[in-house]
Amino acid sequence: MSKTITIDPITRIEGHSKITLQLDDRGEVAEAYFHVTQFRGFEKFCVGRPYYEMPYLMERICGICPVSHLLASAKACDMLLAMKVPKAAGKLRRILELAQLIQSHALSFFYLSSPDFVLGMDADPKERNLFGVMQKNPELGRGGIRLRQFGQQVIETLAGKRVHPGWVVPGGVNEPLSVDKRDKILKQMPEVIEIALKALAWFKIEFENFREEIRTFANFPSLFMGLVTIDERAGYYEGKIRFTDSLGNIVADMLEAADYQQYLGEAVEPFTFMKFPYYKPLGYPDGMYRVGPLARLNLVDNCGTPLAQQEWVEFRALERNAVLSSFHYHYARLIEILFALEHIQEYLEDPIITQSHARYSASLNNLEGVGCCEAPRGTLIHHYRVDEQGLITWANLIIATGHNNLAMNRGILQAAKHFVRSEKLSEGMLNRVEAVIRAFDPCLSCSTHADGHMPLSIRLISTEGKVLDEIRRGT
Amino acid sequence: MNRALVLACGNALRGDDGVALHVAGCLRNGLCDPETHIQTDHQWTPELAEPISKAELVIFLDASASIAPGKIACQALQLNSNSPASFTHQTSPAALLALAEGLYAMHPARAYLLTIGGACFDLKEGLSEPVRRAIPQAIEKIKALLSEVTLPES
Repeated sequence: MSKTITIDPITRIEGHSKITLQLDDRGEVAEAYFHVTQFRGFEKFCVGRPYYEMPYLMERICGICPVSHLLASAKACDMLLAMKVPKAAGKLRRILELAQLIQSHALSFFYLSSPDFVLGMDADPKERNLFGVMQKNPELGRGGIRLRQFGQQVIETLAGKRVHPGWVVPGGVNEPLSVDKRDKILKQMPEVIEIALKALAWFKIEFENFREEIRTFANFPSLFMGLVTIDERAGYYEGKIRFTDSLGNIVADMLEAADYQQYLGEAVEPFTFMKFPYYKPLGYPDGMYRVGPLARLNLVDNCGTPLAQQEWVEFRALERNAVLSSFHYHYARLIEILFALEHIQEYLEDPIITQSHARYSASLNNLEGVGCCEAPRGTLIHHYRVDEQGLITWANLIIATGHNNLAMNRGILQAAKHFVRSEKLSEGMLNRVEAVIRAFDPCLSCSTHADGHMPLSIRLISTEGKVLDEIRRGT
Repeated sequence: MNRALVLACGNALRGDDGVALHVAGCLRNGLCDPETHIQTDHQWTPELAEPISKAELVIFLDASASIAPGKIACQALQLNSNSPASFTHQTSPAALLALAEGLYAMHPARAYLLTIGGACFDLKEGLSEPVRRAIPQAIEKIKALLSEVTLPES
């Protein structure tokens, strides 16, 4: 007789979700589903608001990566105004984005995932947390805290607040960077770069203990997608969309983010609020692709900063072509932290960064705007339409986590088939299935927008287990 | 080193949940001395362990749904290395003290959790009347706790 195993909730991720594993008559995993059970609805309730409110409304989608929403939204508004931003403002926005990438990646790697690496996938879940890391490897714990603190301090120094800052505005930023503030950040750079290098050195030894997980954590061919700059580097703030395949071949290149509807489709499944984007020319579900740190490092031919470049070369040497195991999202995350630190230093050392002219102004010139940037978890697109008064009439958000939805679902099936044995379930088995999702670092608060498509059932069950009443919709 | 650290936690868009932020605002507006650092957050996160480790006194300030609206409770916190640590990116005052000690081998001499009972945690701005009335009393309590801390001899 078939049986279902439910892992609910999935721990150490951002948001609320569960996993269902369906077993066949032999007790082997036949299907796996990643259910995202929360709903946000930002695309709907922003309708009717003036465009200039959008950056501050949209960043409220998330408390971890608000800066990405702020920037994508501000860029969409820049397009509504048909304007570019001053050079200093462009660089300041880039620093803000990289600072957020550091704090978000530090949260994912050190707070949420390092307990698995330091204490082991089979460790007692009561100890498998940052507190356990502190006891077993306090230097790593201190390093993680310092990196997250640094990222947040840079955001606060530039934008006034660590979470939900309002400093980025359509046309630029609303206050230039002072020399004092620049020097305050620059002074910290050697210390935090050293921490990132140490963490990388530690992890490159440590992940050798996770060969089985590397082999089975969403390790399969797929496309990869992300922004690439004109000089062939990962484009966190700017660039054109590139798709590559698992052999490293460029499948599509120089695509405008604004044309995303031509090459990205969005499917909806009845078991989750999260949509399933796919690469249109290959159809659904064959058009599965991955985004985020792993994809970004697979898409480019160089990393762009000296220390990160050395690490990137080692990373790409893991496999002959693209690095396919999603376990290596963790490794890629650490390399991106290093890259972001070096890049922030480069920007801050450019004299232009303290120029006083940080904002242009204009009135509404377009009725449609698209803004795109690379959020920590992958490519983020905000698309708005407005009326002649500048009021939002329609909005669509393509969220980083959503891009990975197909790969996450296929990934948990792969890991569950390998690790889960129904005759003797163990916590470690189920933790590994969760850890596949954790490797992608999904941000579910950001990514749940499939309004009106998910069937919902509410059951009233007596203490004896009898179903007393049931309401269903949308089946 | 700040001799005292006030860590206020809450969400000003959820009614009385934002009371700690209101109290922190009053303290910032001249009601406590410059040696006291006041920080406001939506939630307490592990990064706070570092400044906590360097403070002589830490006052955690929060709203409470489990005491009567407008009531104030003040609990002295003890360092407990076995604090429950089921945290991810948010954590409890007790776990933060333990984290400060575990990572930096230092913890404040005294730490308190001061909570103010809330009446309404719905999506709205502003405080309910009993909670608003409790703010002066909460400030007096905090000032009393701060006054017991003396600067080290230079």
